[in-house]
Amino acid sequence: MDWTKQLIRYIVVMLLQVLLFNQLQLWGACHPYIYVLCLLMMPITLSHSASMLIGAIVGLIMDVFCNSLGVHMAACILLMFIRPYLIGLIVNDKDRLNEQISLRAIGMEALIKYVVILVLIHHLAVFMLAAWSWQHFGFVLLETVVSSMITISIIIGYNALKYK
Amino acid sequence: MQTLLKILLRYSNFLVFIALEVAAFLLLSWNNVYPRSSMLSTANEVVAWQYAQVNEIRSYFHLRQINEQLANENAALHNQLATLDSMQTGESFHYLPAKAVQMTTNRLHNYLTINRGSKDGIQRGQGVRNEDGVVGIVRTVGTHYSVVLPIINTHTNLSCRFAKNDYIGTLQWNGKDSRFAQLADVAAHMVVNEGDTIVTSGLSPVFPEGIPVGIVESSTLKEGDSYYTIRVRLNTNFKRLKYVEIVQNAALNELEELQNGLD
Repeated sequence: MDWTKQLIRYIVVMLLQVLLFNQLQLWGACHPYIYVLCLLMMPITLSHSASMLIGAIVGLIMDVFCNSLGVHMAACILLMFIRPYLIGLIVNDKDRLNEQISLRAIGMEALIKYVVILVLIHHLAVFMLAAWSWQHFGFVLLETVVSSMITISIIIGYNALKYK
Repeated sequence: MQTLLKILLRYSNFLVFIALEVAAFLLLSWNNVYPRSSMLSTANEVVAWQYAQVNEIRSYFHLRQINEQLANENAALHNQLATLDSMQTGESFHYLPAKAVQMTTNRLHNYLTINRGSKDGIQRGQGVRNEDGVVGIVRTVGTHYSVVLPIINTHTNLSCRFAKNDYIGTLQWNGKDSRFAQLADVAAHMVVNEGDTIVTSGLSPVFPEGIPVGIVESSTLKEGDSYYTIRVRLNTNFKRLKYVEIVQNAALNELEELQNGLD
């Protein structure tokens, strides 16, 4: 995989995240973090430790934009830690999985499973760490569900368009 | 030794994971307790500059409102000047105008970024208000930008009093609605009416006495409770915040030194 392409995609997604999605004022509970798209779609040939390190950097940059030092960083590291195990669990036909995790390689059903599980984990981690108490847990759950739905639709849509 | 190395290699990914997470949580707790890093927040030059540009574009769509707001603010300032001239109280507060660059209102921990920093003499702990009332307290200072902890952040506590009888209470926010805050520590023997005005207490050097905060929307006293639950409608409309003023107290440093000396 071409790393320039990855970087360009990251910049475009971050611009969308910061300029558009961070400005959303819907129902007070809608904060989709679409930047995880870059982490989810990263090549799987990368070593486990290196991908966690990239997760940490991506999360830290996001934290700087959100005034939430450590929150996105912790969630992204967790996401990148779980990712290879999850791929091992849900992808049966590993021969077709070379380098890229894509709709073409793993099929729609596995892709949806992959995206839904990881986005839910990431968003739940972010909102729980940001709230930092059990007092608002009900609101955190609502926030997670609403925001995840948007993030998931966007990531699935991106894949569907790309590999139509 | 060799076995130890083997074990380390076997679990190296997990160890990297733990190490990175520990780093993240250190940053997280450090930021909650000691939020002074202006580089790693929206007081960061690059980040704040980006928000400033976005705001620049957005502000064209709000020109009429801004004009109205400025006119109101001018009037309010003239009034203030007139009162000040006549009183000559010798209070040492100065007001520095600033523009809100970025603001969230729909989270538990909302922040406001303003376009003034240490080069304008901004210090951590200075108060921020607009023409309607109290906005918040400066939390992190960068060179050209600062981050303000507004009263609609669940971390904020602000000492307030009733305008009618000087009774003191603490203003907090429950994270739900940016238009309302809660006033705590008001004992049951007080008579609280709807529409009572809440102003700053002047007990801390952050704000002068009597800056409007809000009015009592509702108050409930449950059977057996010794404190009221009071809902305060805030004067400041955080969703429309554009221009603010930083309250600079020339005696802030001196007062802090005095108070530190007491410990």
